[in-house]
Amino acid sequence: MKRSTIIVIVILALLVLWGISINNRMVSQEEGVTTAWANVESQYQRRADLIPNLVNTVKGYAAHESETLQAVVNARAKATSISVDSQNMTPEQLKEFQEAQNQVTGALGRLIAVAESYPDLKANENFKELQAQLEGTENRIATERKKYNEVVKAYNTYIRKFPQSLFANVLGFDKKPYFESEEGTEKAPTVEF
Amino acid sequence: MKKTFVLLLFLWMTLLTQAVTYTPSTIPMVHLQDSTRYVCNPEGILSQAACDTIDAIFRTIEDSTGVQTVIAVVSDIDPQDCFEFAYNLFETVGVGQEGKDNGLVILLSTSERCIQFVTGYGLEGVMPDAICKRIQEKYMNSYFAKNKWDEGMVEGARAVKNHLLKSDLQREDNSEGEKDLGLLVFFLLFCTPLGLAFAAIRQRRKCPECGKHKLKFVSSEVLYKTSKGQKTRYHFQCTNCGHDLYRDIYTSFSDSNSSGGVSGGFGGGIFGGGFSGGFGGGSFGGGHSGGGGAGSRF
Repeated sequence: MKRSTIIVIVILALLVLWGISINNRMVSQEEGVTTAWANVESQYQRRADLIPNLVNTVKGYAAHESETLQAVVNARAKATSISVDSQNMTPEQLKEFQEAQNQVTGALGRLIAVAESYPDLKANENFKELQAQLEGTENRIATERKKYNEVVKAYNTYIRKFPQSLFANVLGFDKKPYFESEEGTEKAPTVEF
Repeated sequence: MKKTFVLLLFLWMTLLTQAVTYTPSTIPMVHLQDSTRYVCNPEGILSQAACDTIDAIFRTIEDSTGVQTVIAVVSDIDPQDCFEFAYNLFETVGVGQEGKDNGLVILLSTSERCIQFVTGYGLEGVMPDAICKRIQEKYMNSYFAKNKWDEGMVEGARAVKNHLLKSDLQREDNSEGEKDLGLLVFFLLFCTPLGLAFAAIRQRRKCPECGKHKLKFVSSEVLYKTSKGQKTRYHFQCTNCGHDLYRDIYTSFSDSNSSGGVSGGFGGGIFGGGFSGGFGGGSFGGGHSGGGGAGSRF
């Protein structure tokens, strides 16, 4: 074999190895995004799981607030019906998901506000615990959303930088959407008495 | 003139201490200097006695359950949101063991008038949000409402201890690496001086005549005494060959360094060594929190 052929083969081999290492790095970063998204979803799920219990407790004391209660139940039903696949998530999908969850947040906020005018309900141990859990869950959601955005930022930055950007398109690594903070919805409703 | 200056200085310092707004990274972590302390009380809002009580409580908790706690008692905080501050503090410091994430942050902000618990991922099971909230409402908030910071914090700390000690949480050492390091430190700190001391003792018992380690202490007498120190003659006898050995050792009163001229042929002080007392600084394991815990206002 000619000397130049060997050199070409060695360079090609190095290029392939380099490509593989970049690919692997993108894969592990994308896995990070998937994990972060799963954490976000599980916290929203945690909140959704609290709702039936909360609604039942409130119902026992404030049955004629059915409108507010129904709004919570409907918002929850809508939000849980949306499932997002983090692998091929589009900004529109995430936006839809976020809007549905924001509606739950809003409906819950109104429910808690209504509960304000029922002293018996406010003193109920079960209600107090649910409220503490709800507050904690809102905190957890905010935390996990922040963590998700950080991981996505790292991933997006990586795949869009040169030379990784050359591989990213070919290998099918797309930019992932962020959670957008909207006016007034970023903060968890203050559940206070 | 001098008085005015001192007064001005005092005023300036009071202003200075009052103007401090703490961020999660500027709160001095007392635990790093002294592993037995947990309460960060930079403004002296809590009394020393209360701090000591709370430190002791959280020391017991860490010893028996492995749960590591940081308590911060400050007035002004930035960010102003209590949860955000306490959570950031948790992540900045890395409370709890890595992997187990069994850390706990307790924040009291007297100007925001809030108390906030933040639990690590690993603590969420034993200390759910509802329990945190209940502890605050039952034991702490009524005191805080009357600005009784000492009482509220001590009562709250007791309640946390009672709850955690009842749980089946057990302290266990986390990783192999830590164990190895612990063993190494143990050897370095404990065995090495012990071995050296032992070797020194053995060396001192060696009889220069027959070479056996059979020297036995017989008597001692003070040769002379000055204001700085004294010279003592120690009489040893070898139980093997009966050789008599005298060592004159000078002991200084001021710095307890001993030096001696030795008639038997080799030098050295009285059996020395000893271990330095006190506790070293602690460390944080790098635990993470998912934002669990609860907060309340009073």
